[in-house]
Amino acid sequence: MTAVRTYPTDLVPEAAQTLLEVRDLKTHFYTNDGVVKAVDGVTFSIRERQTLGLVGESGCGKSITAMSILRLIGRPGKIVGGEIRLRDKDIMRMTEAQLRDVRGDQISMIFQEPMTSLNPVFSCGDQIAEAVSLHEPVSHKEAWNRAVEMIGAVGIPDPARRAKQYPHQLSGGMRQRVMIAMALSTNPELLIADEPTTALDVTIQAQILELMKSLRERNKMAIMLITHDLGVIAEMADDVVVMYSGKVMERADVTTTFESPHNPYTRGLLASIPRMGERRKRLEVIQGTVPSPLNLPTGCLFKRRCPYAMPVCDTAPPLQELRPGHVSRCWLTAEGAAPTIGENPSKELAEETAKAMTVDA
Amino acid sequence: MDRAEKAPTYVIGKRPAELDTEDIDLTPVRTYWQLVRTRFVRHRMALISLFVLLALLIFAIVVPLLTGNEYTHAQLKTIGAPASLSAPLGYDEIGQNVFLRLAKATQTSLIIGGAAVTIIVVVGVLVGSIAGYVGGAVDNVLMRFVDVVLSLPVLFIILMIVSFFGTGNVTVVVIAIGITGWTLAARLIRAEFLSLREADFVQAARALGASHLRIVLRHILPSAMAPLIVAAALGVADSVVTEAALSFLGFGISRPDVSLGNMLNNAQDYFVRQPFLVLPPGIILVLIVLSASFFGDGLRDALDPRQRIEASE
Repeated sequence: MTAVRTYPTDLVPEAAQTLLEVRDLKTHFYTNDGVVKAVDGVTFSIRERQTLGLVGESGCGKSITAMSILRLIGRPGKIVGGEIRLRDKDIMRMTEAQLRDVRGDQISMIFQEPMTSLNPVFSCGDQIAEAVSLHEPVSHKEAWNRAVEMIGAVGIPDPARRAKQYPHQLSGGMRQRVMIAMALSTNPELLIADEPTTALDVTIQAQILELMKSLRERNKMAIMLITHDLGVIAEMADDVVVMYSGKVMERADVTTTFESPHNPYTRGLLASIPRMGERRKRLEVIQGTVPSPLNLPTGCLFKRRCPYAMPVCDTAPPLQELRPGHVSRCWLTAEGAAPTIGENPSKELAEETAKAMTVDA
Repeated sequence: MDRAEKAPTYVIGKRPAELDTEDIDLTPVRTYWQLVRTRFVRHRMALISLFVLLALLIFAIVVPLLTGNEYTHAQLKTIGAPASLSAPLGYDEIGQNVFLRLAKATQTSLIIGGAAVTIIVVVGVLVGSIAGYVGGAVDNVLMRFVDVVLSLPVLFIILMIVSFFGTGNVTVVVIAIGITGWTLAARLIRAEFLSLREADFVQAARALGASHLRIVLRHILPSAMAPLIVAAALGVADSVVTEAALSFLGFGISRPDVSLGNMLNNAQDYFVRQPFLVLPPGIILVLIVLSASFFGDGLRDALDPRQRIEASE
């Protein structure tokens, strides 16, 4: 921690209230081949006006976590356990009608694919107006005016004209802007952005991120940003949750994540980012592939690919708290050494220790 | 040399006056229905079909309206009489005015076609959308029921219903055709719903807090319209033909009422002596069937907002 960098963290008052709390969330899919534990005991919280980054490889359960928060999981998936609280409301106990009031109003979502997330048979303005009128008692005219205003707010020129156009008449970047306009038209407290820039090219990505930043300030909302692009995380997030095979591997503020990551998986991810002006023969990669969700290893899920793997890793590692606000699911001590119980303790001892070291929050 | 002077000079950070973007995109956005009209008019066969259908409709409404039940008048002295001003198509085997009968028959057939298709569409959409949207066991039960209905020999079921509830009754014929014909529409709608249910924009609507009913009616059904329109157009044609077949077999409409099939049935007995009697109802039948199909085809293309209009205006 030598270099002093300012991250958006500094802007968020520590006293901000918790907006969303997810505790021990478990979403499983009952497929013909067996049970897929897509999300298996994920815990995190988002404070007001905070941006939480959720990172991980494809298939690690990022999107399922997001869908679970809005309870949008369809068959064969099911949320089998955990708590999701929005302020003082329990989302898990809501009726379908109560959920509809939350969806799109308090929590909005933007999707990865702007090309297919807009209904092809309605004009953009109609769709935004629909989002408005679903949650507010406004006339059709008022809803339309709001739609036009929002299209302008997301930086699309000539909004009155664009509102009348159909999704196929807009470019990918513009469609994503329309999606953002739709998500923000009801002034949500939390925006869940599921890989909002993945389908766009880099210049448009930068524009969209810039737009999300400015709207975050304007609307005073929290963002849950799902991505596999660590660059986006560094740019946007205050706190980072690193997921792997449905579990949280590491959770910390963004400075810690980038400058002193603890978990070998996080380190592996950071090492595989190419850096400008750096000469390397080969880009570092994490060896191996993500384990099949139907055939997960016992103990640590990452052990087969981990350069630090030791015999003790056959026992599920503890989710230990290294410092306040920094947790990591690994046997290594905060200094990166083998655990105090040794590299190869008995199974019972390892299990006991893991239990004792695991923190809840 | 002249051209070199005229070419715009590009300066970084400055836009040449010749390429002013202000005047690039000034064409007004056309509304959906304007685009539909443009696309429909492009479709020449559909346009012709529309006019044919309109002409038939006017013919079927106006002529019976003006002449009342004159089409039932039979006279011994006019049997087989040739065409005249009051009877442009002559008289038939029992001395009834063929022209008036033809108008009434067209009316009956169109009413049967339209009413039967309404039943087909309503039942088909209801069953298909529930099966496709809910899925699972509900889908299985409904689709097996569709399979059962499809496996029955349609014409015999219709004949059974008609002979059970009374021949010559338009309502019975309509219901009989309707309840045996909805299966195709149901299957098409279900297939569309199955794929659209998983579409990203439906997920997005769900994430916006739209209710199931709203998702079905506003987000899925409009996209599922294309095959439905075609099915409905073919359904009109099909129902008219089925009715004609029924009447031809003597189970549909019978004297003093008249339908196209019934006219054909009566004409076949005199096919050798008076072959002309077959032509008017036959031609009208063909016209209805063809123009309904073409019209449906053109309408489907026109209603699809993704269809592009080629630059050749």
